[in-house]
Amino acid sequence: MSAGTAVRARKRVSWTGVALTVWGVVVFVFLFLPIAWIVVFSFNTGRILTVWNGFGFDGYKAFFDNPTPQAAVKVSLIVAVCSALVATFLGSLAGVALARRPGKWAIGFLLFVALVLVTPEIVDAIALLPWYVLLGKDWNLTTFNSGWTRLIVSHAVFSTAVVTLIVRARLAGIDETLEEAAGDLYATPIRRFTQITLPLMMPAVLAGGLLAFTLSLDNTVISSFVFVQGTTPWPVYVFASVKAGLRPEIASISTLMFILTVIAIGTVGLVLRRGGGSSTDIAATMTGTGT
Amino acid sequence: MPKFTLALPAWTWFIVFFAVPVGFVLLFSLGQQVDAFTQRPNVSPSVWSLDNFRDAIDPAYMPIFWRTLKISIIGTFICLVVSLPFSYWLATKVSPRWRGFLLGLVLVPFWTNFLVRTIGWSLILSPNGLVSSKLQDVGLRDSPLALLYTQTGVQIGVVYNYLPLMILPLFVAFDRIDPALREASKDLGASKVKTFAQVTMPLAMPGAIAGMLLVFIPLMGDYITPTLLGGAKGSMAGTLVASEFLDTFNWSLGGAMAVIMIAFILAALIVVTIVGLLLRAILIANRRVRLPSEVTA
Repeated sequence: MSAGTAVRARKRVSWTGVALTVWGVVVFVFLFLPIAWIVVFSFNTGRILTVWNGFGFDGYKAFFDNPTPQAAVKVSLIVAVCSALVATFLGSLAGVALARRPGKWAIGFLLFVALVLVTPEIVDAIALLPWYVLLGKDWNLTTFNSGWTRLIVSHAVFSTAVVTLIVRARLAGIDETLEEAAGDLYATPIRRFTQITLPLMMPAVLAGGLLAFTLSLDNTVISSFVFVQGTTPWPVYVFASVKAGLRPEIASISTLMFILTVIAIGTVGLVLRRGGGSSTDIAATMTGTGT
Repeated sequence: MPKFTLALPAWTWFIVFFAVPVGFVLLFSLGQQVDAFTQRPNVSPSVWSLDNFRDAIDPAYMPIFWRTLKISIIGTFICLVVSLPFSYWLATKVSPRWRGFLLGLVLVPFWTNFLVRTIGWSLILSPNGLVSSKLQDVGLRDSPLALLYTQTGVQIGVVYNYLPLMILPLFVAFDRIDPALREASKDLGASKVKTFAQVTMPLAMPGAIAGMLLVFIPLMGDYITPTLLGGAKGSMAGTLVASEFLDTFNWSLGGAMAVIMIAFILAALIVVTIVGLLLRAILIANRRVRLPSEVTA
């Protein structure tokens, strides 16, 4: 760029730039409007959530006084941790295989991963409910009659696909020389994996695990089909309450879970950033749009 | 040890808890409901028929499939129109110092529970909510406006819920374009509009296509937004399928509806792909300069 254009750019206000900035602000307001509304209304003291009565902590008090929503949050947290562990284990192994042992098989496998990722959730939901009934009641695999198993397994299908892609992307970006050097220095395959490959892929494993945790915590559609009374996760509790009538305590739970999600996602961002990703890479990873 | 050994556990997992169960849905769609109290349909090959598909395209249900397609196409289009300038702004106009932070802000609503966001909209759209009261305050309406439980309400809800899925891939695409290409275009005398239309946009096309797929496919199968914001007037295919499985226990009919829903998605994708390829061929034929991404094509 010549000096002349630089001076001109500083002096002239470009109307397209101003219009774009205004649009950017408008979109951000739109994106945060309903979330702000939920947070504000979580301090509503009225009996009905939609009608503003006054400011107070009644909604939060109702949540902390009532064991049912608390139990639901507890179910969600336990399921989220377990399904994240399952998905991280399965997905990491598959990610390593894709990055380090590619071949014709990878095409077939990636097709599976893609199908899992694009299938509308409602299809998974209606497919899994009869499947669990069949496994649990007809084939006597009684563990599938348990709400815990059903929720953990269902949530870990989609997130295994997500973890697979994240780990694959991370390892594909690092060449194999370090691992080969370890092999040349007589490290056993196991040591090679635990001391070289595993530390290298750790940021992706952690990020994938946290995303799996968040995905499970938020899952509503599949959960509301496969859950069993007694192990109701919080989104299903909220969904059922919406049909019965909105109370301020729903907004309070939502606000608390929102804070939890922001913390989890903020951590993912930090982990990926410390692992050396640019903000573009991080955004691409966190939405599954980068691979 | 075969190369795919480490992927075997995940592969088995996908087969047992994805492929086989989805296969069963196909099987149900060919079977027959036993009676109103039995959940599991009769799927023995002797009763296989396409009766469920005939029932599913009944005039009682067909308008809901068309409405789903309409809401999804309009929703995808609005998401694209809103995101194009927004993602372009974020990727090229915002200073790099702020970009990471603003991108993080876009991720927050994306990761906020779908249900919670939608409940937020049901508060805003209700007759005594924000939109209605503001319109009355400024005198545009003299009575409360009911957007909740209408098709418009669902349309607003789905645009909101899927918008980040369009913004992010478009941002990634714009961000990866070398600014030198835009400058070269301007140095060669092209106007801002021409540079955007002939250099930036063609290079960002993969991002736009990814965004459209990421919005359109889950939108077609959405179940939460129409349930919460649509009521009876705004129900979509996902609501239909869900009610056959949860309320009337006709898994056969529900399975057939799910198959039709997927057929609608695939048909739309095929049409769009063909039109897209034709447009691309016409555009490339009418342009004298080849962009780096097209050299190999």
